Amino acid sequence: MAFLSNLINGLSLGSVFAIIALGYTMVYGIAKMLNFAHGDVIMIGAYVSFVTITSMDVPPLLALLIAMCVCTILGVVIERLAYRPLRSSPSLAVLITAIGVSYLLQNAALLIWSSNTKVYPSIVTFEPLHLFGGALTVRGETIVSICTCIIVMIGLTFFTGKTKTGKAMRAVSENRQAAELMGISVNRTITITFAIGSALAAIAGVLYCSMYPVLTPTTGSIPGIKAFTAAVLGGIGSIPGTLVGGLLLGIIEIFGRAYISQDLSDAIVFAVLIVILLVKPNGLLGKKVTEKV
Amino acid sequence: MLLKVDNIHVYYGAIHAIKGVSFEVNEGETVALIGANGAGKSTTLKTISGLMHPKSGSIQFCDKDITHMEAYRLVSQGLAHVPEGRHIFLQMTVQENLEMGAFTSKGNFDANLDHVFTLFPRLKERRKQVGGTLSGGEQQMLAMGRALMISPKLLMLDEPSMGLAPILVEQIFSIIRDLRKAGTTILLVEQNAGMALDIADRAYVLETGKVTLSGTGEELAHSDKVKKAYLGG
Repeated sequence: MAFLSNLINGLSLGSVFAIIALGYTMVYGIAKMLNFAHGDVIMIGAYVSFVTITSMDVPPLLALLIAMCVCTILGVVIERLAYRPLRSSPSLAVLITAIGVSYLLQNAALLIWSSNTKVYPSIVTFEPLHLFGGALTVRGETIVSICTCIIVMIGLTFFTGKTKTGKAMRAVSENRQAAELMGISVNRTITITFAIGSALAAIAGVLYCSMYPVLTPTTGSIPGIKAFTAAVLGGIGSIPGTLVGGLLLGIIEIFGRAYISQDLSDAIVFAVLIVILLVKPNGLLGKKVTEKV
Repeated sequence: MLLKVDNIHVYYGAIHAIKGVSFEVNEGETVALIGANGAGKSTTLKTISGLMHPKSGSIQFCDKDITHMEAYRLVSQGLAHVPEGRHIFLQMTVQENLEMGAFTSKGNFDANLDHVFTLFPRLKERRKQVGGTLSGGEQQMLAMGRALMISPKLLMLDEPSMGLAPILVEQIFSIIRDLRKAGTTILLVEQNAGMALDIADRAYVLETGKVTLSGTGEELAHSDKVKKAYLGG
């Protein structure tokens, strides 16, 4: 029963990683850049929901919605001000800028909310499920995060597969110049991508802090790095790969913590990443890059 | 006049690729740009479609100055560019590629799709297949079909015959001939000068970034200079 409990917890943590990883993967796929400030957008989302819940007494679901709106605007503004002017610069310049934005957000949070740890109130209000006559307890947060991940994945698959804007995103991701010759605005598509990724970051921030209720200005960086790992593990640029990578990473982390060593669990996660990348450099479901000449 | 290119100069960094090219395309005409590798043919098309911008000179399309207009805005003006190397979306299906072609189109999607499928029955057979699984000839058909989804006022074709077997070249050119008969205005860039001059109402010869000769297709086909340089004697 402990095994099943760990598996469920792993899936739940992995679901949150997958939701965060989508932000990395989509931005990478379309803007061809690594947005290292993504983890900090999660943190901002968590703070916004924290403030609205604790000091404005807003119901949790509305707080989530507000956090999503704030993060969407934040993501779009970051892209507009920091990344767009560098669109044709070397990728290293963009990468360094992303790291700069990351520190900017952390320090802004430090200034606004101080470094004092905030205890995050869970947005999940229903009671844990007791299964098998009490042998297995599943927390409400666990169920909510797994369900949210499923909904997000289905939603995004539908969006990229069936809608005009979603298809345009795939077109830009595959061949920017050809997309432009179809009349698709690359800038507009990148803006939409940042908006979606940042809204998802807000959801992930709320879920993550509901599971681990410790909120500081650096809260976003560790899940951010792990979700980035998940995206690479599954194959960056691929949406199903992100799901697989995220879930796998969550499960490995929880199992590592339960069966090997509490302290080494992070090291185990990254060791697995290294091994998988040695065997499959494009990640588990990554697209093989074949350049036709 | 549909398109008027006036004395444009285009640079790749420090390289002066186009050195004052001027030409024009009238409505209903088929105009060919011929010339050797590196003469600036593709760069000229890219500059017209807004993928590149000239340092000086101007481009007018439908009496509108489009010199500095971005590429994606030009599509809804009725300018379609089939780029060299085709650039179809390899991971998207044939149908999705055609939908992308119609991205800005406000016209009747189904009617345009039917029209493209009539021109290229092969595409209809393969509409559910992803682009990457098509043969070179089929990819060229898809690239052209995709451009035709907006019923363009001007269709620019960059090396449509490149890398294709002679029988497919014949087929592609016969479709271009049909489009021409149906009244489509075409600006054709080709290394296959013989076929291009045969199909074109008028043609311009480009050499190292300059127009060195111009005339009707027939005139150029019989000019000694063109014969020697581009038609193999």
